[in-house]
Amino acid sequence: MMRDYLIKRIVISLVILWIVATLNFVIFQVLSPIRPENVILNVDFTPEVRASLANIWGLNDTIVGRYTKYVGNMFTWNFGYSFQSLAPVAEEMAWRLPTTVLLLGSALILEILVGIPLGILAASRRGSKIDVFTIGSGLFTWGVPTFFIQLLFMLFFSYFFFITFGFKVFPERGIYSTPPPTDPIMFIADVAWHLSMPVLTLVVASFGSWALYTRSLLLDALTQDYIVTARAKGLTERTVLYRHAFRSTLPPVVTMMTLAIPGIVGGAVITEWIFTIPGIGRWYLNSMLAADYPVVQAVLFIYAVLTIFANLVADILYGVLDPRVRVGVRR
Amino acid sequence: MAFIFSKENRKVVKRQISGFWYEFKRKKIGVVGLAILLFFVGMAVFASVLTPYDPINKERLAQDLAMPELMRIFPQYANYPTTRNMAPSWATEKGVEFVQSSGKRITLQYTTTALVTTDVEFRYKFSYQEIPPNTFYTGFRYQASNVKNLQYTISYSLITPENKSWLLWTRADIKVDWSETVSIDSKEPFLVTRLLGEPQINLANAIFAQKGDYILKVLMRFKPQSTDARVDVTAGDSTFTILGMVHGVLGTDDVGADLWSQLVYGSQISLVIGLTAAAVGVSIGTIVGVVAGYAGGAVDEILMRLVDILLVLPFLPLLLTLVFLYGKNIMYIVLFIAIFGWQGLARMVRSQILSLRETAFVECARAAGGSKFYIMRKHLIPNVFPIVFPTLVLSIPSAILFEASLSFLGFGDPRVPTWGKMLQYAFGFGAFTRLAWWWILPPGLAITGLCLGFVFMGHSFDEILNPRLRRRR
Repeated sequence: MMRDYLIKRIVISLVILWIVATLNFVIFQVLSPIRPENVILNVDFTPEVRASLANIWGLNDTIVGRYTKYVGNMFTWNFGYSFQSLAPVAEEMAWRLPTTVLLLGSALILEILVGIPLGILAASRRGSKIDVFTIGSGLFTWGVPTFFIQLLFMLFFSYFFFITFGFKVFPERGIYSTPPPTDPIMFIADVAWHLSMPVLTLVVASFGSWALYTRSLLLDALTQDYIVTARAKGLTERTVLYRHAFRSTLPPVVTMMTLAIPGIVGGAVITEWIFTIPGIGRWYLNSMLAADYPVVQAVLFIYAVLTIFANLVADILYGVLDPRVRVGVRR
Repeated sequence: MAFIFSKENRKVVKRQISGFWYEFKRKKIGVVGLAILLFFVGMAVFASVLTPYDPINKERLAQDLAMPELMRIFPQYANYPTTRNMAPSWATEKGVEFVQSSGKRITLQYTTTALVTTDVEFRYKFSYQEIPPNTFYTGFRYQASNVKNLQYTISYSLITPENKSWLLWTRADIKVDWSETVSIDSKEPFLVTRLLGEPQINLANAIFAQKGDYILKVLMRFKPQSTDARVDVTAGDSTFTILGMVHGVLGTDDVGADLWSQLVYGSQISLVIGLTAAAVGVSIGTIVGVVAGYAGGAVDEILMRLVDILLVLPFLPLLLTLVFLYGKNIMYIVLFIAIFGWQGLARMVRSQILSLRETAFVECARAAGGSKFYIMRKHLIPNVFPIVFPTLVLSIPSAILFEASLSFLGFGDPRVPTWGKMLQYAFGFGAFTRLAWWWILPPGLAITGLCLGFVFMGHSFDEILNPRLRRRR
């Protein structure tokens, strides 16, 4: 039963991926007002160069031929060559990915580490100042543009300090100093120093949603009958909270975490733009502005693959953590 | 929405609304949200009353990055001047016999029979009592016609209280009919180099170093070549502007344009985008959810897979790409935000409908022979309202934030003033290096304020309308 369910899910996922690839193709190569051939084929090229370039990028095919080739390439993880750098997209992505993962991964971990304990604390002390703060920070997450927080931090910690006191608390651009320190430990410290402001702003901008989410799940759990039973058994409030109530909120929380992972690779376009971080998001934006379709399509496709995969993992984890929804298990 | 306006329902709805309002009034945070919203709505409605300036066709109203006028309450900025616009009225100093009229407009007719170089001079005196300014610009227009047998020279200079004369502009030894609009900018590098030897020095600062009476001088020198020389000259439309170091409510941007007007007009765009995108998106979400939930089967499957597809795409990168490809047009932006903003709601509505479908009253309606459409309209849609309405209010800020992000990255509609664009310009054109907080803070705070207003209201609506939450309170 479980296997049947998984197979069905995987088939549906593949169909969705195929549709995403098709959408990519339709948006960028059929409906787009900017033709890819015009991006790479300069009028100044000699006819031979034009012909060979057109061949390399497969622009001579019919639309159907191009489409089948395109979908095939996407599914075989072959994203072609970037128009700008003429290097394989996969290679280009490979050296940018670590930066983005480091930036957004550490931000995500910190958000969770701050948000979830705060949510638990708020739920266990309803109506207290911490609770009000949690609700406030949750609503704040909804209403404050992240880039504004980042601009404020940059204005204060980089520019204000530099102009007033002659030094920067955090640097406002890049991921390491130029020239980078040669000592490996100093280099790591330098990167950490450079990434601290982007990471910190991302955490400030979104820990609230984790806190609020945990709080409302936990409050929901605390109204359940089994909590009353647990309390009636004379368990300590601590045990009730962590072993009973929090345990039951784990499935949705873990789902949220899993679903947040594709976002790490999808990149924080704005964050990387503001802090001049050479990651996927900034690469995406620059490629898009240069009409570098292979890159844009690859990033969108990979994001879709990761999201679908994360969804699948989330589903399985949900089953593991919550016996009630375990498919095919008869009790 | 006919069900709201049928006769028997009107009373019910009226009662519901007044009950809702009664509860809403007791939510402090919701009332705060409403007040914030009303503030921005007022700003949007009375935009043309609040500011006379056009936010798109930027005028140079003060020096670049002039501070807000209110900053003068601090002692270190107390003597910062505002922009001073003068329309010089010229008094004849020399050559009265040729001048037919002077004042704002000069007309003169020069005829001679003697081969003598003659000067005609006009002066305008004004007093300058402020600290040395950063920039000034001035200009005038002249027209010389019926030139016959003579050379003429026109020069324009400024004389300081110490009697030092700065030649701002001159056109020498013209022999033909000529007309010209002269404009002089104290930041113009050639002018600065000519007068001061180095382009880096601030000319306005150097000229207006003292307080006292300054004189603007127009000198016309006529050199007859033969005995029947003549020329008619008209000149005027002169202006002399000393750009202020403080300006208006919020100061100025990098080109000296008013920021308050950009902020005020930005509220219109944000409200329109937020409301439209949210309304369209929520309508799509509700309809898809109701149809999928109630129809079931293949329709449900197709719609839910559509939702899945939209959910696996990264929203902001895709939005940027679509706007880049299909044009930076406010209509498209709204449409794209709406198209990608309904999936979550559709899922929620669908699950609500799935449970509603099995309730007794829907079954009764079905048994009584109600058509599918009738049941959806009459029983299902009104019952998902408690989910839909707070979602509607909460999607407005997210639409506003998405538009602001687009504008901030330079993907906004260039024809409309938006808060995101203000931040984009502030980020790109030197607000940070000069700590121009009056350019950075207001648009960001406005976005935050308006979004929080909606979030507060949506949160309160959710608490009132969503019974599950209410039980917890």
